[in-house]
Amino acid sequence: MRATVRQAARATVQLVVSAAMTFGSYIFITVLLITAIATATVVGAFMLPETVLLIRRIAGAKRQQAGAWTGRKIPEAYQPLTGTVRERVRTAVRDPGTLTDFRWMVAYYAYGTLPVLMLPLWPLGLVVDGVWCGLLRRRAVVLPLISRLADLDAHWSTVLLKPSPKARLAVRVEELTQTRAGAIAAHGAELRRIERDLHDGTQARLVSLSMRIGLAKRAYDQDPAAARRMLDDAQTLAEEALTDLRHVVRAIHPPILTDRGLVGAVRALAASSALSVTVTVDGLTDGHDGPRAPAAVEAAAYFVIAESLTNAAKYSGTDRADVHLARARTGLRVRVRDEGRGGAGGPSQAIGSGGEAGGSGLLGMRRRVAALDGGVTVTSPVGGPTVIEVELPCVW
Amino acid sequence: MRVLLAEDNALLREGLVLLLTSAGHEVVAVVGSGPEVLPALLEHRPDVAVLDVRMPPGFRDEGLRAALEARERIPGLPVLVLSQYVEESYAAELLGVGASGVGYLLKDRIGRVDEFLDALDRVAAGGTALDPEVVTELLTRRRDSPLDSLTPREREVLKLMAEGHDNTMIAKTLVVTERAVSKHIGNVFLKLGLPPSDSGHRRVLAVLAYLRNV
Repeated sequence: MRATVRQAARATVQLVVSAAMTFGSYIFITVLLITAIATATVVGAFMLPETVLLIRRIAGAKRQQAGAWTGRKIPEAYQPLTGTVRERVRTAVRDPGTLTDFRWMVAYYAYGTLPVLMLPLWPLGLVVDGVWCGLLRRRAVVLPLISRLADLDAHWSTVLLKPSPKARLAVRVEELTQTRAGAIAAHGAELRRIERDLHDGTQARLVSLSMRIGLAKRAYDQDPAAARRMLDDAQTLAEEALTDLRHVVRAIHPPILTDRGLVGAVRALAASSALSVTVTVDGLTDGHDGPRAPAAVEAAAYFVIAESLTNAAKYSGTDRADVHLARARTGLRVRVRDEGRGGAGGPSQAIGSGGEAGGSGLLGMRRRVAALDGGVTVTSPVGGPTVIEVELPCVW
Repeated sequence: MRVLLAEDNALLREGLVLLLTSAGHEVVAVVGSGPEVLPALLEHRPDVAVLDVRMPPGFRDEGLRAALEARERIPGLPVLVLSQYVEESYAAELLGVGASGVGYLLKDRIGRVDEFLDALDRVAAGGTALDPEVVTELLTRRRDSPLDSLTPREREVLKLMAEGHDNTMIAKTLVVTERAVSKHIGNVFLKLGLPPSDSGHRRVLAVLAYLRNV
C-alpha cells in the first residue's frame, strides 16, 4: 500500500507541474495574440523571434518534464535565430520546429486539463484502495490510475513535441553547412601552411644549393679548394632540403599509413612511444586487406592518437596507456586512456600544470576532428584517469 | 661485388647504377617492382641486394616485404634497404630475421657517396648499417632507463655502435684512441647489463635487443 501511495504521489507531483505549465501557457496566449497583431502591423515584427524563442523555452521545459517521467529524452531540433531582424523573422517562421511547438501548444490547451481528473481520484483512491489493498491485500485499483494519467500526459507530449523528420533534416543541414565551412577553412589553412613550409624551407634551400653549384663551377679552374668547399655546402643544403621535405610529407599524410594501414601505423606509434602502450582493435584488420576508412579519417585518427600519447607521455606522469580502435556502424571510434594524474584540457586547470599545452593540443585535435564532422570527448578528472574518445563518422 | 638493384624511380635507378659501377661494383640485375625481386635474386645470386621500400604494384612497403622474404628463402643474403623515410618498426622487422648483413638507410645518405659505399661494403661483409635517424629515435625516446646513466661520450659511442661502425671507425669519428673507445664500450655494456661480446653486428644486435626490450 505504501509503495502504491508513494507512486501515486510521484505522479501527482508530475501532474501538478504539468498543470502549472498549462496555466502558464494559458497566460502565454495573450503574448501570442499581441505578437500576432504587432507582426500584422509590421511595426512589431521584431517581437516575433522573441516570442518563438519563448515558445521554444516553454516547449523545452515540457520536453524535460515529460522526458524525466518516461526516462526517455525527447530530442529537439531548432534552427538558431541569428542575423538581422529580417533574417531572424524569416528563420523563425520557416523553422519546422516553430510549427511543431505551435501545434503542441494548441493541443496542450486541451490535454493540459488532464491533471484536474486526479482531484476526485485521490479521495476515492484512498478509500477504495485503503480497503481493497490495505486491508484485503489485493492489488490497488484506483491510485495507479493517477500514474496512468501522468503517463498519458507524458506520452502525448512526447508524440507532439518530437521534432518532425523535416525539422531534424533542417537542423542537420544547418550542422553540415557549418562543419563544411569549418572543413574548408581548415583545408585552406592546411594548404597555406604546406605552401609556406615548402616556400620558406625546401625552395629556399634549393635556390641556395643551385647558387653554390654555380659558384663552384666558376671557381673550378682558378681555386679548386674553394670549389670543393662550395660543393660541400651544396651537399649539406641538399640534405637539409630533403629533411624538410620529409617533415612536410609526414605532416600531410604519414607515409606509414599508406604502407601499413591504420592499425599497423598505430602499432608502430605505440612501439615508438615513451609509454608502454597496449593497442586493442575491434572490427579492423591489420595490413591492407579488409575495409579501410577514408584517408582523411585515418590521418585524423592517427594524429589524435599521436597527440594524445605525446601529451600523456609529457604530462600524465604515468608510464602506461591504452589505445582502442573500433569500427562502428557509423564510422571509426578511437579511445586513448591513461591512468595518469588527469586534469587535462579542463577550464579549471592550474596554470603551468602542463595541461595548458595539452589544452592547445586538444584544441588542434578538436578542430581536426570537427572538420570531419566528428566529435571529441575528453574526461580527465583531477587524479585521473584521462580518457580521450573520438568518433569519426565515415562510410566503409 | 655483384649487386642486384630494385628501384622503380628511373632517375634514382640510373644514379645508383652509375654510382655502383663507378665504384667498381657490377650491377647484375635491375628490377622495378616488388614481385620481380625474388625471382631475380634466385636467378642471379648477387653478393648484396639494394632495395627500395616503396615500389609497384602497391607503392607501399613492397621492397621491405621482398627483403624479408628473400632473407627467408636465401639465408645469409645481405640486403641494404633504402627508403624515403625511416620507420623504427621496419628496422625491428628487418633485424628480426637475423641481423647479419642488414642495412636500413635513408635515401638521403646516398649523396655521401663514400659513406654509402662503406655501408654497402659493411652489409655485404655480414655487418650492419642502420640509419643514424633510426638510432637517434631509439636512443631518445626512452625515459627512466639505464641509458640515463651513460655519459654523453658513452652515448655517442653507443649511437655509432648501433649504426654499425667498428672501433677503428668510432675512434676516427670521435677523434680518440681505439683503446679509449674499447673502454667506453666496456662501460656501456656494463651499465646496460649486456654480455660483453667481440665485434661487428653482434654488438649492434645486443644494443638493439636491449633498446627494444626496455
